Amino acid sequence: MGVITISKEIRDTIIELGGTDAYKCYQCGMCTALCPWFLIDKVNFLVNRFPHNVKLGNIMASEVKEEIDQEVQELCRCVGCDSCLAYCPRGVNIGDIMRAIRRILIDYDALPKNLKDIATKIYSVGNPQGESAEKRNNWAKNLAVATYTSEMEYGYFACCLPAYDASVRKIAEATVKVLKSANVSFGLVKEDVWCCCETIRNFGAEKIFQDIAQNNIKALNQAGVTKLLVTSPHCYTTYKNEYPSDDIKFEVIHITQLFDKLIQEKKIVPSKPIKKKVVYHDPCTLGRQNNIYEEPRQILKSIPELELVEIENFNRKDSICCGAGSGGLWLDWQKGERLSDARIKQVIETGAEILAVACPYCLIMFDDSIKTMDVNLEVKDITELLAEAI
Amino acid sequence: MIALLIETRNINEASTSQGRVKDISFEMLTLAHQISQQHNYPVIALVLSNNCQPIVDEIKQYCHEIICVEDNCLENFNTQIYQPILHQIISELKPTITMIGHSGFGTDLAPYLATTLGLPLITDVFDVELNSTLLVRRQMYGGKIIAEVISKMLPAMITVRAGSFEKITASPSVNLNLSAKVTKKPFTLDQTIFEKSKFLGYGEVPTTGIDITKADVIVAIGRGIKEQKNIPLIEQFANEIGGTLACTRPIIDAGWLPKDRQVGSSGKTVKPKLYIALGISGAFQHISGMKNSETIIAVNKDPEAPIFSVAHYGVVGDVLKIMPVLANKIKELKG
Amino acid sequence: MDIFVCLKMVPDTSETEVRVDSTGKDILKVRLLYTTNEADNYALETALLLKEQFGGTVTVISVGTQSVDEILKMALAKGADKAIRLTDDLFLNGDAWTVAYALYQAISKNKFDLVLTGCIATDDGNSQIGPMLAALLQIPSAAYVTKVEIINNTKAKVNRELEGGLLEIKEISLPALFTIQTGINTPRYPSIIGIKRASSKPFEVLNATQLNIDPNKLAALTEIRQLYQPKVEAKAQFITGSDDEISTKLAELIKEKVGL
Repeated sequence: MGVITISKEIRDTIIELGGTDAYKCYQCGMCTALCPWFLIDKVNFLVNRFPHNVKLGNIMASEVKEEIDQEVQELCRCVGCDSCLAYCPRGVNIGDIMRAIRRILIDYDALPKNLKDIATKIYSVGNPQGESAEKRNNWAKNLAVATYTSEMEYGYFACCLPAYDASVRKIAEATVKVLKSANVSFGLVKEDVWCCCETIRNFGAEKIFQDIAQNNIKALNQAGVTKLLVTSPHCYTTYKNEYPSDDIKFEVIHITQLFDKLIQEKKIVPSKPIKKKVVYHDPCTLGRQNNIYEEPRQILKSIPELELVEIENFNRKDSICCGAGSGGLWLDWQKGERLSDARIKQVIETGAEILAVACPYCLIMFDDSIKTMDVNLEVKDITELLAEAI
Repeated sequence: MIALLIETRNINEASTSQGRVKDISFEMLTLAHQISQQHNYPVIALVLSNNCQPIVDEIKQYCHEIICVEDNCLENFNTQIYQPILHQIISELKPTITMIGHSGFGTDLAPYLATTLGLPLITDVFDVELNSTLLVRRQMYGGKIIAEVISKMLPAMITVRAGSFEKITASPSVNLNLSAKVTKKPFTLDQTIFEKSKFLGYGEVPTTGIDITKADVIVAIGRGIKEQKNIPLIEQFANEIGGTLACTRPIIDAGWLPKDRQVGSSGKTVKPKLYIALGISGAFQHISGMKNSETIIAVNKDPEAPIFSVAHYGVVGDVLKIMPVLANKIKELKG
Repeated sequence: MDIFVCLKMVPDTSETEVRVDSTGKDILKVRLLYTTNEADNYALETALLLKEQFGGTVTVISVGTQSVDEILKMALAKGADKAIRLTDDLFLNGDAWTVAYALYQAISKNKFDLVLTGCIATDDGNSQIGPMLAALLQIPSAAYVTKVEIINNTKAKVNRELEGGLLEIKEISLPALFTIQTGINTPRYPSIIGIKRASSKPFEVLNATQLNIDPNKLAALTEIRQLYQPKVEAKAQFITGSDDEISTKLAELIKEKVGL
């Protein structure tokens, strides 16, 4: 009979870095059952083992190369969607525990290289694509959008993905179209506001996160921004919940919140019908993490002839992650191991023709999935649909 | 005096049409004559082989002098044997510049040889100016920076990047008929050298482990090629132009090509001289893996495809229609 | 088998822009993250695998300021037994020769069977230090090694990478120096227990005086005169016409770029 030995050093290090919630856990297993990975046959991801192993100090304790490789892979699997936290009877924040472990790993180059590269690029030029910081607002060059000045109402930040990636630039372009149609007073925040760093914070690059968070807050405060309008719910949740609130002199607003308000105020009147069956996918960072469930739905309902349907049992608080969270966008799970594929299957069952999303990460993941799934489905951002309808 | 080490193909590699002297040697001859004309320096070729004559025949019109060392132990390149012999020759000749190709042989030999000779060494150079000092240009930081480097003294040694100069045979500016003086050099070798290192043979990199990051030309396919049965057409084209076949993730997912062919953030990052993207729309995960290629040609039917934001040359059209026509044109050009 | 592995700390510029600083002789070193040179990581893994197979020790050695402790500690965490840092202004203001000479002086004072380095550094791209160091140590070397087999205490068989998918296979007597090509193995991650253990392993810091090095010997033989960024080609130029016309232009373009 083997006797379990506790490695105090490992345990204490993880606890020190933010893993204290491990002690709350009483091993009921609810988290494992609620984890989106549970829906994927090939994957056996036992979430409740993590708090248990932290208590024992049994994390990355092996010295066998294959076992360590395997463990790193599993540590990268958690997408930080908080599905588990939503129902945990003890309120254990698995996300915090995973971040604490990954913080040790990133310091020792023990995370996959493509994740480390993201951190390097963000640290160096402020975006995960590694493009020039000065080119951040180039996407809007031909759209006649002013740079934000303090007399404007909203400062708009398009998120790195639409700003630098031609395949999702359309979200930012549609946003501009809608804002202009409603005569909203807005301008682009300057290029010195960098990535919000939500992703790299979740995979442990805490020092870079802190560094750039301070830079962003300073830049926005100096520009005199009072209302920061963001496209990505990842930026939204990071500014709202993770940046030090005392330092922030502005309100953070997600575009769906503003559009819903403008529709209610009749400043946006969708008039062109979209005669399609549409299903809405709640992004984790907007829904579960910030309780914004109804605004996106109200926007879709305001479009004439659009039929909004729901994914039974897996909507709102029970939506599942597209797989992009915590660096998942850059990890390469094999075919048959992708959360986005599982979600698309749920979407197909609703008979929807369009999958509406409110997050650039979700858009990329689902677009990528349908390329290889032979399904008859379009993926669009809510903003694109709204821009089509006005 | 400019000395250069002639690099040769091994017997198995050399065909009648190619001869034995490698392209890099003819390229270095071009460079050597550029310098030689400016300073009136003789160009001296160093040939080490078990059979020097065929090599001498190929190069003698381009050299003032050829120094041959002939012995059975020089049949195949081997740093441990070449180095002491070259050390003897170069320390006697004292050429102002000694050039060695920045090749598989050169990278093994040059730093060792320069050290025993006490010569300054600058590696992987693509441009050379010799005035009162030797100034060369070379890449740093993976080609993101060009450096001008000087040697603090002369004589010096350089290794020359392949493809940086035209082959002397193809250079219109050079019309040489020098008919070199050929000298055979005797040499002495410490016999223990043969204990230190033994050439066992040449091998081939196993084909299962194709490393697309090392390819100079990549032909990459995406979903635009539509069906697996179209791959042989593209593969044949790739072979014609000396390219390696690579692809996007959906092709891997479909199981049409093995994982080691994937370019992108979850695959390999590549930087070939030429990247031909066929039927690739350009998901950012793919673009991040190839955007730093020297020249990018993209063929895609969607004029708005993101791939055109990084391509140098774009064709809006159907890959499957253009490829057979292009394959024929390439055959014609090759004659 | 006692193995020395030379490690270099380099700025991780593979994914970022690189700009020249105001002196024109160095890159702008702001907002760069530093890491172990890629090929050196493979060299370290090669050493650790040989140690697992044959026993012995792995010593990692690096030239630099205190900041290189980061990569040395990481190597200790992965399983190296001892670290040596060579720190002296005389080492830092030189060229490849200077660094090779400093490494030679430090390594030659020890018993070893094998010295491993990476085949190329991602910053200067020199591919010099390994064979230079071998020449100074007066041991045989092989560069761009893609396979190492230890035959017995005095002999190893290696594959070296040449051009065009060709390999050179040779037998080399030990002690020897190999410069290791990337992709030869899969470098490991350190375990947390390894990280914890690293802090109690021997760590030596040496300067030129302690190594009895004549400062004149360290003088650089080459010098960077200036750095600049290469000109970037303009973006997408569209080729139009019939399929035949397009193909003709493409074929010429391909010929121009790579020859046929």
